[in-house]
Amino acid sequence: MHSGGFSRRDMHRLARSSGSRNTDRQPDVETTTLEEVPAALQRQFEDLLDGEEDIKIAISTDLQFDGTYGKDWVLATEKRLLTFNQNGAPAPEIRNIALEAIDEIQIRELHGNNFMKVRTSEGAFEVARYSKRFAPKFAEATPEIESLIDKIKPDDVDKSKRHRKYVDPGKKKIRCETCGRPIPRWSEVCPNCVEKGKLLFRLLKYALPFWRVSIPALLIMLVIRLVDLYPPILGQRLIDNILIPATLAITGGQSVEPGVFGQLVTIVLLMIGAHAFTAVFSAVRGYMMTWVGQRITLRLRNDAYQHMSILSLDFYQDRETGNLMSRITQDIGRLRDFIAEGLQDIIGDSMTLIYMCIIMFLYSWQLALWVLLPIPFIVLFSFYFGHKMHKVFHVLWKRYAGISTILASTIPGVRVVKAFTREKYEVERFQEQTHLVFDGEMSAAKLWTLYQPIMIFMTFIGTIFIWLVGGRQILNGTLTFGELTLFMTYMTRFLQPVRTLAQMNRRFLRAATSAERVFEILDTPPSVASSKDAIDLPNMRGQVEFRDVFFSYDGEKNAINGTSFTVEPGEMIGLVGHSGAGKSTLINLVTRFYDPNEGEILIDGHDSRDIELKSLRGQIGVVLQDPFLFEGTVADNIGYGKPAATRQEIIAAAKAANAHDFIVKFPDGYDTTVGERGTRVSGGERQRISIARAILKNPRILILDEATSSVDTETESRIQEALGRLIRGRTVFAIAHRLSTLKHSNRLVVLKEGQIDEIGTHKELITKGGTYAGLCEKQMELSKIRAW
Amino acid sequence: MEQPIRIEDEVQFLDPKLVKISRNQFADMEAELPDGSVHAPVEPVRTFPLTQPDQYISLLDANKNELGLIEDIKQLRKADRTVLAEELKKCYFMPKITKIHSLEGRFGITQWEAETNSGSVSFDLRSRHDITSLDGGRLLIKDVDGNRYEIVNYHRLDPKSVALLETQI
Repeated sequence: MHSGGFSRRDMHRLARSSGSRNTDRQPDVETTTLEEVPAALQRQFEDLLDGEEDIKIAISTDLQFDGTYGKDWVLATEKRLLTFNQNGAPAPEIRNIALEAIDEIQIRELHGNNFMKVRTSEGAFEVARYSKRFAPKFAEATPEIESLIDKIKPDDVDKSKRHRKYVDPGKKKIRCETCGRPIPRWSEVCPNCVEKGKLLFRLLKYALPFWRVSIPALLIMLVIRLVDLYPPILGQRLIDNILIPATLAITGGQSVEPGVFGQLVTIVLLMIGAHAFTAVFSAVRGYMMTWVGQRITLRLRNDAYQHMSILSLDFYQDRETGNLMSRITQDIGRLRDFIAEGLQDIIGDSMTLIYMCIIMFLYSWQLALWVLLPIPFIVLFSFYFGHKMHKVFHVLWKRYAGISTILASTIPGVRVVKAFTREKYEVERFQEQTHLVFDGEMSAAKLWTLYQPIMIFMTFIGTIFIWLVGGRQILNGTLTFGELTLFMTYMTRFLQPVRTLAQMNRRFLRAATSAERVFEILDTPPSVASSKDAIDLPNMRGQVEFRDVFFSYDGEKNAINGTSFTVEPGEMIGLVGHSGAGKSTLINLVTRFYDPNEGEILIDGHDSRDIELKSLRGQIGVVLQDPFLFEGTVADNIGYGKPAATRQEIIAAAKAANAHDFIVKFPDGYDTTVGERGTRVSGGERQRISIARAILKNPRILILDEATSSVDTETESRIQEALGRLIRGRTVFAIAHRLSTLKHSNRLVVLKEGQIDEIGTHKELITKGGTYAGLCEKQMELSKIRAW
Repeated sequence: MEQPIRIEDEVQFLDPKLVKISRNQFADMEAELPDGSVHAPVEPVRTFPLTQPDQYISLLDANKNELGLIEDIKQLRKADRTVLAEELKKCYFMPKITKIHSLEGRFGITQWEAETNSGSVSFDLRSRHDITSLDGGRLLIKDVDGNRYEIVNYHRLDPKSVALLETQI
């Protein structure tokens, strides 16, 4: 484990107690980073203090200067900075630096580790080396040390060198404050600390409502398994009571008694009865359990999807589509199999084994022991083999995935491959992978082809024992031939349940993994949720105010870094800036795809978090750069935001969006299927469909994200015209790289590294001659070159 | 007719015999360039940190502007080389994992207990994507806090570590 586990409460307590002794010195510097120093070290440090001072800050590192893991210390009192280095030469070293001498404390953020460096007028020392895990801790402590320095040097002219920001206020916490575990990016709270109930219990909870069906099904199974063992017993009776006496009688020259055939028919009828019983009730049970399984699937799947739909974009950003899809489809399927079949199989197979053992022991306990002798070996072998097979298949599966990866990159990239004449290289790469698959398949085959014969041989050993031991018992007269046949039949039936039970472990593990993957979805709290007393805002005016907003996607870099400005209803704001300047982030915050880490966004004077999400998003329209069309007709897509729209409204919206003309040219008109498997629709056409969608929704706030990029000039002017109609009378946020697109804007906001660089009208900014003016000039030059 | 550009002309390496690299009184790396200018602090950056850690070292000034490129640190004079190598070692801390004790996954986060050439360590990964697989069984691992670890060739690890690793890659 990493060193330095300390609880925040302890630190506060320590900080308070050390502060209370110094009530005469006012005002005190608030410190929060006071870890518990080992007693021996504490004494050494205290020897260096002069009674007038207390240790105010104590932080440990997890690295030493030679690059090995270990715990060094940095302490600060009101007067000095003390550092302890375990591997100082020649002995552990304590350095004592007077705060008065310190000009600057530097944090060097490097790859994989950071350094804390102290600069005085004469020289500089590195005082701590620590991994990135401790970076937040040191970032918090540094300004506190600086405050101590400020107190002792209040008139320092060179203060500016200190007091840099080390922690961004909007930064998201990487680790949970309670348990220290990392918080997944998609979650705001530590899932470890909100976990409720154990996996299996939760799984059973899904099966529990169906106990009225599953318990009878279980009972039926127990009966079936018992009845299933009855025909061999009947066979034994048939042989011992009828067939052998009859054979003996005939070889002895006597005739068989007349009633015997009747007995034979009775036994055969009983056999038919037993089999018919098993067949009928197996079918009934099968149907019941399928029903239970499907009910569970239905519930789990819908619960999971419903929960997914309220999760924030973070959750999706962090996972691949395929991964999430397989949870909803495969994992839930696996859980169903496990709850509905797996658990019953375990019980049923165990019962079959127990029944058989009891019956065999009743017939002949000696022979039963011999029959059971190979079983442990078969179990061990199945177990070992299953494990091995699993590994081989896993490798094989990865190799097949490798083929898919190559195909997935070279098929869409075929133009690049050909243009750079790399066909040969790609073919070789592919062949290499297929050879790997071949090798994998062959090693799988090697195992698999071995498995069957070995299993058969092991079973055969059981049979040999029956012949040998059972045969001897027959010779001794302690066993009948019918009994021997019974043992033979049971021997063959033993194998299947033994094998199932041997593989149970893995089946269980797999179900547990699937359960975890599914419950992870169900347990993720939505990071953007309406608060309990959220209000409806049915007639939004569309005023948007940003107030000291900070936001970070990853907790490392702030995408929005303290932004404040107000947009009046009906105003069009053009957002300008380099890619990564925070334009899209700003929009994600307005639509509440994310919530700010700090500060607030007010809509008509209400904190956006206090507005019902549905009400808010219901009045925001979005036109994206590459609009997404759902599987469905053109009309469905236009009406997506207003399901109750009439045909007339849809046509009107399409007309306003300049989309009507091309839609009517489709053979199926508004009924044309678009989307993944539908008609191909060009970028410009998709664009206009999505504008129609936004017009129909009639939002108060409109977001245009690069709405006119990558289309030809003719199409662009059609889109511009449509946009002109769309934006009228709405609050608009528009992002565009092409500044001409923003010419309708009332004001422009120029963003730079998450902050507002400039704000004002086009004219004002041009006159000002700042960033925006520079950008405009560059684009003018470019547009001269652009001939089409 | 105009000649196409010669790409060889696009990169000029610093003359290794005319660069002076040292530490100043503030323990910062200082570089004196062939043109006589002196810069401190100078930050060395590996342009191929994974495949060519000692070649094509870029020297950046305090404002992160490139002062020049060093083709190979071996060409430098010994004193300069020592300082640069030492600084690079600080700037790129990536312990090599020699053994994996355990892996425990929960909520998509995997906790690793491992032995490295810098000592034992425990760290957390967010997803399998944080492990990059390179040629020759080389693995690069980035943990949730931003620390990095390397496995030189995972096939060479002990069987238990390999078995644990194979569940992750």
